[in-house]
Amino acid sequence: MDPGSQKPDAAPATVVAAIDVGANALRMVIAEVFCDGRIEVLEHLQRAVRLGQDTFCRGRLGGESMRAAIRVLRDYRQLLDLYKVEKLRAVATSAVREASNGDTFLDRVFMAVRMNVEVIDTSEESRLTVSAVRQAVGDALGVNQRQTLIADVGGGSTLLTLLENGEIVTSQSLRLGSIRLREVFATTEESPQRSAELLRQHISNALAMLQSFPLADVDAFVAVGGDARFAAHQVGRPTESADLSVIHPNEFDQLVDRCEQYTAEELSRIYGLPFAEAETLNPALLVYQNLLHRTQASQVIVSHVSMRDGLLLDLAREVTGKEDASLLAGVIHSATTIAEKYRVDLDHAASVAELSVRLFDLFQADHGLTARHRLLLRVAGLLHEVGGFVSSRAHHKHSEYLIANSEIFGLNRTEIAMVAEIARYHRRSVPRASHLPYMALARESRVVVSKLAALLRVADAMIRGHRRRASDIQFQRRGDDLIVNMPSGCDVLLEQRALKTKGDLFEDIFGVKIRLEET
Amino acid sequence: MPKDPLKSPELYINRELSWLEFNDRVLQQGLCAELPLLERLKFLAIVASNLDEFFLVRVAGLMRRRAARSRRRDPSGRMPAEQLSAISRRAHAMVAQHAEAVRSVFNELAVHGLCVCRPSQWSPLQRKFLQVHFTQEIQPILTPLAIEELSPRPLLPNQQLHVAAVLAVPKPDEPETAERLVIVPVPSQLSRWVSLPTDQGVQLAAIEDVIAEHLAAMYPGGSLRAWAAFRITRDADVVLQDDEEVDDLLHAMEEVVLARRRRNAVRLGVSAQPDARLRAWLTDWLKLTDDEVYETDAPLEASALMELVHRPGFDPLKIDDWPPQTPRDLIGADDLWQTIESRDILLIHPYESFDPVVQLVEQAADDPHVLAIKQTLYRTSGDSPIVRALSRAAQHGKEVIALVELKARFDEWRNVTWARRLEDSGVHVIYGVAGFKTHAKALLIVRRREQHIQRFVHLATGNYNDRTARQYSDIGLLTADREIAADVAAFFNLLTGYSESVGWTKLAVAPIGLRHKLLDLIDREVQASTPDRPGLIMAKINSLEDPEICRALYRASRAGVKVRLNVRGICCLRPDVPGFSDHIEVRSIVDRFLEHARVFYFRNGGHDEVYLSSADWMRRNLSKRLELMFPVVDPKHRRRLIEALELYFADNTNVWRLQSDGNYAKISRHGPRVRAQQTLYREAVDAVRQAANATPQFRPLTRPET
Repeated sequence: MDPGSQKPDAAPATVVAAIDVGANALRMVIAEVFCDGRIEVLEHLQRAVRLGQDTFCRGRLGGESMRAAIRVLRDYRQLLDLYKVEKLRAVATSAVREASNGDTFLDRVFMAVRMNVEVIDTSEESRLTVSAVRQAVGDALGVNQRQTLIADVGGGSTLLTLLENGEIVTSQSLRLGSIRLREVFATTEESPQRSAELLRQHISNALAMLQSFPLADVDAFVAVGGDARFAAHQVGRPTESADLSVIHPNEFDQLVDRCEQYTAEELSRIYGLPFAEAETLNPALLVYQNLLHRTQASQVIVSHVSMRDGLLLDLAREVTGKEDASLLAGVIHSATTIAEKYRVDLDHAASVAELSVRLFDLFQADHGLTARHRLLLRVAGLLHEVGGFVSSRAHHKHSEYLIANSEIFGLNRTEIAMVAEIARYHRRSVPRASHLPYMALARESRVVVSKLAALLRVADAMIRGHRRRASDIQFQRRGDDLIVNMPSGCDVLLEQRALKTKGDLFEDIFGVKIRLEET
Repeated sequence: MPKDPLKSPELYINRELSWLEFNDRVLQQGLCAELPLLERLKFLAIVASNLDEFFLVRVAGLMRRRAARSRRRDPSGRMPAEQLSAISRRAHAMVAQHAEAVRSVFNELAVHGLCVCRPSQWSPLQRKFLQVHFTQEIQPILTPLAIEELSPRPLLPNQQLHVAAVLAVPKPDEPETAERLVIVPVPSQLSRWVSLPTDQGVQLAAIEDVIAEHLAAMYPGGSLRAWAAFRITRDADVVLQDDEEVDDLLHAMEEVVLARRRRNAVRLGVSAQPDARLRAWLTDWLKLTDDEVYETDAPLEASALMELVHRPGFDPLKIDDWPPQTPRDLIGADDLWQTIESRDILLIHPYESFDPVVQLVEQAADDPHVLAIKQTLYRTSGDSPIVRALSRAAQHGKEVIALVELKARFDEWRNVTWARRLEDSGVHVIYGVAGFKTHAKALLIVRRREQHIQRFVHLATGNYNDRTARQYSDIGLLTADREIAADVAAFFNLLTGYSESVGWTKLAVAPIGLRHKLLDLIDREVQASTPDRPGLIMAKINSLEDPEICRALYRASRAGVKVRLNVRGICCLRPDVPGFSDHIEVRSIVDRFLEHARVFYFRNGGHDEVYLSSADWMRRNLSKRLELMFPVVDPKHRRRLIEALELYFADNTNVWRLQSDGNYAKISRHGPRVRAQQTLYREAVDAVRQAANATPQFRPLTRPET
């Protein structure tokens, strides 16, 4: 390259960072995001801190490990400042989530290093990991034609996600983590082999509870996590992708057999592992192994990415403003699966959803909401009638709690709660201060719910009689009026009546009158 | 007999004896009649200073083990006591040859007007001058220790020149005289050579001669019966506990330096033909055996010879100056940032100048866009421009991290003082990593431009020392490669304790995985080798001692892989052993520059790979030090380094070949003369000249980057 031809990138890159306060280590990645979405990692850091140990044993974070964690975060803060990081997302998982003094800890972190650490739940954890894995795996190894299990064994929990033909079907988290397991069995004065035996039994029992999870149908097994990377390093074979290795099940078993003969001290010495990693290696390998043998997979695919890569992808999307289409599809797919489970009329639901987002787009300037909110509206559209499965009377209220207690892949708990409320207000009462679940939301979320519920109500009113299709209906803004064009010759009486009861919220919020016209 | 035939002692050369053979090759340069006299003297000085270090560290270590009655054998099957007696035999012969060589150089120098005069040669006028000089300049700072004061034994410092004398002093009120033993430490602030008044060239008197001649005069009525100059070498190896906290390291290091005075003596150097009583008394006093006493009529300290080499004037007796050239990759480059960002820069020192590296750090210190500078400093002098630039950068508010390796042997004291100064200016100084010596040479500069973060890296085989950069042949690489930069950033995070090891993309790091990587590369060559296309490994290193690497190379040779090694110093691998090392050839080059670069080449079935490293193939480098190995990515650079490796094998001027018996034979010249160092220098000069003669390029000047 000629130095003279060097051109500055069209737009400056943004420096972002992701921090993962995990159960056995604190990890940070600093990266640059370019305007085309390209991510270039600048620094990767990792320090062992056993936050999980105290939480899983005693239910609260220990003083020493909290201090150690703050020391590490203080060092990380130095690097963040050095690189002048513009966007930071720091998340904490099970160790902090399950600790009774988690909030105290996060407050101390904030006071000491000016860092907001957000506690995320397991569904968010798996969404992040899976988004990174999907990005890394792509269509490699025929994963997209198969039933793929992504297994992430962490310190506190194991996250399982099932992909069918590349689409997320279901996900589940188990309180089965390597530290948790070690803590249970560390106290026994058994030989390494004997404690491995006890561990096996325990893991086997725990996994046997997974009835609704069709492990037996799985024919591609993707392992994620530090211990899986260790296994890949020992017995894995490289693939065309630098982010993936594969291990033959026999070799995996042999490795497990070898490792379980050793104590943590021996593992640390033989494999040059930090002691903290050596201690949790065997429990983690045993979980992978047990899972593997419940599937039909012919190899272990180890993906070298992690939840941090998922955080980076999120940050990159924030920078570029582009959502990941495949993840969106995952959310929709998950919602559709739930709708099917509750025997919802899918044509109707899809039409309402479609019409809602069209209204959303038309009133973009008025509501000023984001693409993420648009997604929540679409999901609420798909799910608003699930309550009908329980009873047709007051079905909006049944919808509310059914949704609130569902796992929708890719949505966090707050978002699921918002979807539940949007669906709840698709008919009858508008939001009121006396509605407890609604009031439990943050003020900003309540505003969003009201706006989105208003749109959903109008859309739902337009699709009456369950014969109407979204494509039949056209919207138009004319001054302070919203003109709804219905195909000529059809009976709009039902819609007229529905609008009377459902258009109120919309007119209140947007200050627009709705008028039906026949074309 | 060990089971593994590759562990058989016959396959290994003792490390210490191999090192002595290296020093002998340096000595042969000192004897080489083709070289200018002062160049020969320089090599003779190096021989002496090498021996000092060898005794201070290696012999001292073996003596400690002998004292502990260790029966552990080295890979060549020798126990410590056996090694020590073999060393003593070899070293005595070497010291004798060295003395003879110094004598002959001194004689020839005298012909050219540089004369070291012994007392018998002093003229009456010069004697008069010396008498005055002694009384005025020397006597006031002398502190002679009389025998009565020798109990308790004074702590005579390591490596310092002393004069011991037997004086006859009249007894008060009695006719007979009493003999007194006097020991005079020669103060180091005195100049080693006293210039004598003369109208013929330069005439010098040795300080010990001047002191001895005038010593008796300090005692009324005293006369000199006998005297000798001597110098004690004490055990100097720094032994630091691995678990010591870094906070305490600085203190610990200061104490180690002091404790050296009290260490056991390991060698006594004494001027030739000393009085028998003096010699016996000193030997006994220092608890040494005759084997550990070395007599020589050459000056006892290497620095005395070096001073003569560096005397102004006498240029015709020196070698031509080879001023470092503008590096080929930087000819015509005016903006270092832009140039490095666009391509890798290979620097072959000292043919090519080290200045760009210094310039880069200086420029970084003053560049407002630079956010951070991180650097390892090993054997760097405190007043070097790089250290000054780092201070300045810190004062400018940049994040500056300097790893100052306190454990760099013999430099500890010097390091402690300037490292403290560096810290005062705001640099985050790390005093090494507990348990490991940081030997890697790495520099990372983080710069933020509006568009993005730029990271500039310098990795090298040699230290950030602008002085040795002119005497050592080393190779450096300047790069903005993102993966290498990320690895180097991770390396510094490891050093600072910000992070544990998170795996490496392009670098290999000792002690974490460098040995493994080397073994893998050697084994890969074995796998890829076929009778039609045998594998090829070429390496240029300073020392080869690591038993695992040796075994891997034997395996490679047995598989038909051709192994061509250019090992400047110690080589424990035995070449040309039928059935084991038929395909291994070991050569050594000793020339004007100290060969110091570590370059490794693997044919890899035609996909050539070249690596550079700070590490030698020694156990300590691969297990007890933090070292780096990095790939040379640019095919042009790879070609250049492969050609250099081949050139080293084509040398027929200053090259020796290791025989299977452990001896080195000088390669006799066939065909035209090839001298690798000269060729490399000529290439560097030609590149600059060609660029200057090339058609001028018209380049519009644009507004400079701000």
